[in-house]
Amino acid sequence: MKPSRRSFLLWAGGFSALALSGCPPVNLAGVLPPSRPGEALGAPPTGEKIDPVSHALNRLTFGPTPGAHARVSRMGVEAFLEEQLSPETIDDTWCQYQVRRLETLHLPAGELFEYKADFLQKELSQGKLIRAVYSRRQLQEVMADFWGDHFNIDMSKGDCPWLKVADDRDIIRRHALGSFPAMLRASALSPAMLWYLDGRSNRKNNAEAVPNENYARELLELHTLGVDGGYSQRDVMEVARCLTGWYVRSEEMMNKGRVEFRAEWHDDGPKQVLGHAIPAGQGRKDLDRVLDIVALHPMTARHLAMKLCRYFISDTPPEQAIGTVTGAFLNHGGAIRPTLRALFHTDAFRQSAGQRFKRPFRYLASALRATAAETRGEGGLPDYLQRMGHAPYQYPTPDGYPVEETPWLGTLLWRWHFAVALARNTVPGVHVDWAALHAGLGGETGLMTHFLGRQPNGDERTAIAASGLVPAALLASPAFQRY
Amino acid sequence: MQQGFLTPGAETDHTLVVVFLRGGADGLNMVVPVEDDEYYRQRGRIGIGQGDTARLDDLFGFNPALASLLPAYHDGDLVVIHQAGSEDRTRSHFEAQDFMEHGGHVMGGWLARYLRTAYRQAGPLSAIALAKTQPEVLRGAPASVVMESFDTFDFGASAPGFFDALSSLYGAERNDLGEAGRDMLNAMRKLETLREADYRPEHDVRYPTDDFAHGLRQTAQLIRAEVGVRAVSLDLNGWDSHFAEGPLITPLMRRLADGLDAFQRDLGPEMAHVTVVVMSEFGRRVYENASLGTDHGRGGVMFVLGGGVRGGRVIHDWPGLSPEHLEGPGDLPVVFNYRNVLASILRRHGGVDDLKPVFPGPALSPVDLYGEDGTREASLEGGGRAA
Repeated sequence: MKPSRRSFLLWAGGFSALALSGCPPVNLAGVLPPSRPGEALGAPPTGEKIDPVSHALNRLTFGPTPGAHARVSRMGVEAFLEEQLSPETIDDTWCQYQVRRLETLHLPAGELFEYKADFLQKELSQGKLIRAVYSRRQLQEVMADFWGDHFNIDMSKGDCPWLKVADDRDIIRRHALGSFPAMLRASALSPAMLWYLDGRSNRKNNAEAVPNENYARELLELHTLGVDGGYSQRDVMEVARCLTGWYVRSEEMMNKGRVEFRAEWHDDGPKQVLGHAIPAGQGRKDLDRVLDIVALHPMTARHLAMKLCRYFISDTPPEQAIGTVTGAFLNHGGAIRPTLRALFHTDAFRQSAGQRFKRPFRYLASALRATAAETRGEGGLPDYLQRMGHAPYQYPTPDGYPVEETPWLGTLLWRWHFAVALARNTVPGVHVDWAALHAGLGGETGLMTHFLGRQPNGDERTAIAASGLVPAALLASPAFQRY
Repeated sequence: MQQGFLTPGAETDHTLVVVFLRGGADGLNMVVPVEDDEYYRQRGRIGIGQGDTARLDDLFGFNPALASLLPAYHDGDLVVIHQAGSEDRTRSHFEAQDFMEHGGHVMGGWLARYLRTAYRQAGPLSAIALAKTQPEVLRGAPASVVMESFDTFDFGASAPGFFDALSSLYGAERNDLGEAGRDMLNAMRKLETLREADYRPEHDVRYPTDDFAHGLRQTAQLIRAEVGVRAVSLDLNGWDSHFAEGPLITPLMRRLADGLDAFQRDLGPEMAHVTVVVMSEFGRRVYENASLGTDHGRGGVMFVLGGGVRGGRVIHDWPGLSPEHLEGPGDLPVVFNYRNVLASILRRHGGVDDLKPVFPGPALSPVDLYGEDGTREASLEGGGRAA
């Protein structure tokens, strides 16, 4: 759905007839989301500061749902960490049932070409929202978000609108909590990535042909070593030579989107990458050799540790935490679970409660989770993401959406707009049962501590209570922009 | 607002208004080479008669539908760049528009990159697209507001207590988030006082009633309200004149000229802090087709209004329109790359010396729009001739 004048009008008109002409509230036909208002929710948090339970919920998930604090308090933070690090042990039937309706997400890559690009983009974004809001495998979703930026692909280039659907499923999601070297290899041969970073046109098909360096550079700069990772322009060119010949079929109707190695386009001479000699005549094995050199390189470990610490701790994580995470990554051969486990046990992580600024996607997801909203991830939601500059799969450059606070500070207008609309139930395609939520959380005080993850201070309580629109003031408050 | 985040050298109060004429505007029938006989030979039926045009210099005349731009031209506030365009040779609207809005074979818009480069932290209203959807030129902008009319932002009235609460909550935050919130609230308070119906343009200027002029009127109102608008994107669509060109684009030219004329008279001296740049993805074929129209071509025209340009001239390097000087099927070659026109503006007003982050790709050679020493020479070396 394109941004429309209607969503502006909703601001002015309160709950107007225009809202009703949009998507009707979703009928969930007796299937309940993981947490519903009105059920026995247990007590919301009561501390004056964000406690370790709320902190874990904030960082390992897209935000606490009603009742989550009581549940994690009962099981303990350690057990919750372990549960989330083992998503395969978590029953996620309800969410999977919701996602199953999005047929394109389950099709093999070849069949996706039958669909229009806009439709694929819509379903893929919808799936991301539904999972972020409803999946019980929350850390899996959070990591899919992280890797989606790390291996960013903009769906507007070439055949990417069709191929990204498979990339998201078969590379990002499949490996989100798996092994980094395996994910890196899968990404290197992902048809969408070969399109996005021009790997498919990197070929040595005659004596004069100059390799296309695009992917080689980003592989070193963004995916592995990092910009200060100690590689030279010569290394970039040598890596590009190693990767010549990998191609994605695009013109033919048959096998469109299939990746193949064309030996006649491969530069089979000897190469030297980061000081390692790669002999002539290795053909397609050059790719494996390059990935072996970089996947578990100490600079790769450090670069990933830095990015993970930024994502999970703060914009400027302390050196000690980065060192710990770097070590865990190397000691476990790039396995992502033990790397994260080490991160979650650093002092820096423990001490960073409430210090991260929510990106727009997380802001929406956390509001929908906090309110146990009914949504299919469509209607007015894509509009809001578009206006806040955070529409999934649409970031133009390969570095992915920024994680830091500063670039997102200009988005408050639409956050506040959304807060009012959600409080008034005027976001098309989204419904919140505010009365049940209010009752289930034990009234206004419970509502406040639930949204803030702690008790409001005196000034907050006064300002929010006097707003005349308590849920909107909570969702729009500075505290709810952080996690 | 936001002064603490400005890159040194960037003007705190300059606004860049980018007008895109979508569809490929026919530069040759807008700024007519009335002294080039070849023009009349190839456009026997749709050419604009010499006597009908308003003379600009010893070679060119304005299409009569652009007459309302003459005062600005003669006052030296409007410069015309002929043979302008991009190196994209696909002659495809989609490809050429994307290429021009992206600023080359890169993704994301040049205006977005400019804002990121010149203003380290974007204010909430720094980029505005008066449109239904975000234009490519602003893709990747730190924050942009896409709206058709700001009248629909009816803030305080619908929830006064809510905004009081935000004022006190964000007022208590001693950090960047608090500052961003307070800036946003200030901007909204200013916007709240803006009602289109209440706007009184200066000097009794009356804007036309079409959408384009409406957009310019809102732009003027926003600039006057000082809400921190640094870039505005506006479209004027419908220039794809394959068929019955005259009746099709004459009203569009009037809309363009009348709207810009009203805008610059309304803002008056304020135009020193406002630059309007008008561009299109490509010009049209020199020879007319059988349907009294023209097909997709290459070089077109750009206009730059305000911001201290040394106007009253048509920048060109006219080869003559005989076939040996044309490109491909019969198109006016591009001499002035649009990036070199934009670069001149950004360097002057954006405080951006190194434009690499804005326009990665081939080295720039800014076109001299301001009559500055140095850059003028550079553009001459580049083959341009300042007439």
